[in-house]
Parts: sequence; C-alpha cells; structure tokens
Amino acid sequence: MVNYMKSEYYRLLRKKGLHLTGILCYILIAFAAAVLYFFGENEANFPYATDRFFYSNVTAAGLVIIIIGLLYNMALTGKDRSLIKQSISFGISRSIIFWSKLILTLGYFLLVCVIGMCLMLLLGDTLLTHEPEAMRNFLIVSVNMIPIVLSGFFLGHALKMLKVGDVYIIIVMLVIFAILGDLLRFLLRPFAALDAVYKYAPDTLLNDNLMSFVDGAPQLGIQYWIVGLMISLAALLIGARMFAKQNID
Amino acid sequence: MDSIIQTYQLTKKFKNETVLKPLDFTLKKGEICALIGKNGAGKSTFFKILAGQQMPSSGEVHLFGKSGRELEKAKRRIAFMVETPAFFPDFTAVQNLEYFRIQRGIVDKKRVYEVLEIVGLKQEKKKRFRDYSMGMKQRLGIALCLLGNPDCLVLDEPINGLDVEGIMEIRQLLKKLSQENQITILISSHILTELNLLANRFVFIKNGVIVEDLSKVLLEEKSKKQILITVDDSAKAVQLLERAYADIQLKVLPDHEIAIQNHVENSGKLNRLLVENGVMVKQFSIKTLDLEEYFLGLVGGDQHG
Repeated sequence: MVNYMKSEYYRLLRKKGLHLTGILCYILIAFAAAVLYFFGENEANFPYATDRFFYSNVTAAGLVIIIIGLLYNMALTGKDRSLIKQSISFGISRSIIFWSKLILTLGYFLLVCVIGMCLMLLLGDTLLTHEPEAMRNFLIVSVNMIPIVLSGFFLGHALKMLKVGDVYIIIVMLVIFAILGDLLRFLLRPFAALDAVYKYAPDTLLNDNLMSFVDGAPQLGIQYWIVGLMISLAALLIGARMFAKQNID
Repeated sequence: MDSIIQTYQLTKKFKNETVLKPLDFTLKKGEICALIGKNGAGKSTFFKILAGQQMPSSGEVHLFGKSGRELEKAKRRIAFMVETPAFFPDFTAVQNLEYFRIQRGIVDKKRVYEVLEIVGLKQEKKKRFRDYSMGMKQRLGIALCLLGNPDCLVLDEPINGLDVEGIMEIRQLLKKLSQENQITILISSHILTELNLLANRFVFIKNGVIVEDLSKVLLEEKSKKQILITVDDSAKAVQLLERAYADIQLKVLPDHEIAIQNHVENSGKLNRLLVENGVMVKQFSIKTLDLEEYFLGLVGGDQHG
C-alpha cells in the first residue's frame, strides 16, 4: 500500500492543473476580501466589509466545496483510471488501489481546504471589520460542515472509481446535496411519521447551518456527523465492495 | 515447480454469451507459447482473467502453483501486457516508468534506463507519451513488462503497430530473454509468421475452447508436406488414386487441382500411375503448409489472429 501511495504521490506532484486550481481558489478568496476591503474603505455605509459577511460566503458554499472536491477526485482518479488495469496486472489488489487513491486525494483536498480556511481567517481578521464572535461562529459552522462535505467527497470517489459517468455523478450529487430535503418534504408530507425526515437531508442541514451563522447563534450539532457518517460509510463500503468485483480493462 | 500458469475449468460469461468455455491450460517453465485464434475467440478475455483485470465466471487460475489470496503475490513474478498499454499522456517515458518503479517497489533506479535502452527508447527523453507513435507505445509497454525482471511474460499483440524492423527487434529480444534469462512467454499476435519464428508451442483457440495444443515439432509434423497436382480430369485421377491407395487422404480443389496429404514419399509412383492411365498431369508440386494455412484449416474463416 505504501508503494502504491508513493507512486500516486509522485503522480500528484506533477499534476499542474490541480495545483493551479488550488491557487485560483486562493486568488479568488483574496480577491473577494480585497473587494470588500476596498468598498469598506471607500464607500460610506457599505455594510458588507465585515468578517461575518466574508465568512458567510463559505458557509453558504457547501455544495460548491463538494463540487470542488469532486473535481479533485476526477483529476486524480478519473482521467488516470486506465492505468489501474496495469497496476492490477502487477499484483496490486483492488482494495489497495481504492483506499490508497482515496487517502491521497482526500489528504490533498483537506490540505487545500485548510490552507484556504487559514487564508480566509487571516484576511478576515486583518482587512475587515470585526463583528462579535464572527470567527468563533465561523469555526463552529465549519466543524458542522465537515462531515457533510466529506460525505460528498467519499460518494464522489466511490462513483468515480466505479466508472460512473461524470454527468450521472453530478446529477446524483445535486439530488443528494442540493434538493433532497425539498424532495423528501414533498414526498413524505402525507406520512405523519416521516414528515420530519427532510430535516436530516444534507442540503437541509447545510441550510440550517448557514441560517444559524447568519442569526449569530450556531451550535455544534451531532446530526451533521450522524448524516455525514451514514452517507460516507454507505458510499465507501458499497463502493469498495463493488470495485473489488469490477472488471477493469 | 514447473507450471507457471495453470487454469482449471475456467469460464467467462458476459450476459448470455459464453466467451470462455471450461478451459484447462498449463504453461510450463521455459516455454514460448503462442495463443492463436480469430478475433473474438477468447484470447484477450483469457489474458485479462490471468492478469486479474476480469473475474472468471467459474474455474481457477494458479500462478506458480499459488491461487486465491496468494495469487497477487505470485502475479508480481509475471509481467502482463494486455491490449494497448496505458500510460500518463503528459509524462515522458522515464516519468511513466518511474511511477511504476515506485509502485512496484523496485529499488534500483537505473533499471528504468536499462529497460528503455533494451527497447530502444532511451533517446526519447523529452517526448511525452501522447506524442508517441503506436510502435513506441508498444515498446514502452514491453519496457514496463521488463522493469521488474519477470520470470514470465504474457503479451497480447506485442508487435501490433511496429514496423518490420521493430518486429524483428522485438522477436530477437523475446528470444534472447527466453534463452538467456529463461523467461517463459505466453504470446498472441495477428502476425502468425512471427509466432512461427518465435514460439515452441502453439495453442489454437476457437469460440473459447482450445481446439489444438501442439509443440513446434508436432506442428511441423502435422503441417508437413502435401502433394499438389493439377490434371485435365480430376474425377478420373481421384478414382485411380483411391483404387491404388485405399488409405489415401486427398482433397479435390477448384480448377482440377488435387491436394494429397499422405503418401508424399510415393510422389514419383503417383505421378507415373496417373500418366500411364491417360491422365494428363499439368502441374506436380510438393508444398509445405505454413502456420497461417494450418490455422485457417483448423479454425476456418477469413480473419485470423
């Protein structure tokens, strides 16, 4: 497993597009902070030059972060999938391939996210007007977002490894992380025992998280972790099992 | 352990189609075995199952006597090149081989350059894989196979896309590897004449079944000389021949041509028999079947490989 991860790391280091995507994200973050700072300095009564508003953009962008995670998955597992057949021929098990690619891609994605978050905190803290508890609240909602975003990442990895088409993956992602709550609310409304299930849909949870941040009273919630864990386990266990039996040629 | 590859009752089904019927096969140490069959005969499926890229529907594969969980370890002693080799298009040959060197835990970094020299790609240092010709891609695939000093090579169409010179080089290389390094080789190719020059065992596969399994000596025996006669009256000639030689094996071909598979040693007598009985012999020749003709006779059809 170590050798396989080392070889994938060798590949990852030489993926220019991937590094450029990260740099582009950081530039956009810095640009957003600079714009807010500029208008805050030059426009009287400009209400958005605050760290709370700046952080709320990330809190509202759960789905976008999941899609960025999917792009990382596509870049690291999708295009290079044709080489897997050779690795298998040389005696590397499907299980090692599945988990090694996941660990490496996830590690890289988390690194990009952590750097991005540090950059945001730094810019929010130095350039923008402080609002009470904004940074603390941002960290709380970020912790709540982690399991949902990761579950999206794991689901994307499993689908990509199973050779599901990109369009289908995006549709699945949108259904689960963008409209599932509304869908469940509509479908389960006639059943009294189930009409509250929609509250645990990932998109509803992300939305609640954002609202709690905007209201200034976010709290750490176990429901985010339970839902995230359930999606993650289902995606990874089913994905690994199916990948182990899949023809790869 | 003499057996490198052994399969027991191996089958592969795709929905309603059975591509491999219960297939028993053994590849012994030191052999250069050619797997010959038409497109769709099941060659590539067989190779893919051996490589682990496809799962068999039933049956077992043993490599170096190992099966089950030990198979993956045993597979490290075999190098597979099934269909077109896949590499990172934006990497050079060195980078691509370096990726696999790290992956396979090969400590010696120089080995990358050694195998590139063996296949004649050492000069192409800066060229990206996407800019390679088909022949260069095949060579890099062979270089990858040699990277781990394997005991056995399983090559599906390794000379596909190579020019005449390249084909000759690869043939010489494979012969050298077999003779000097005692590498066992299982190979398939569309170019049967090449296989004839290289292999010492020939396995013919048709519709997922092995229909013939011959050593080179046996093949030469079976595809031995035959007499070809062109006469003015083939019906009369056949009658005369069958009356004189009860066990004669002959085939009447178009244009009054007759092919006689046995009694080659009696060719003079046969000729005299026909002439003395008033049959005009327009042409009389003794011909040896090549592998291609033998193959076509065995599996039939107009497409081969």
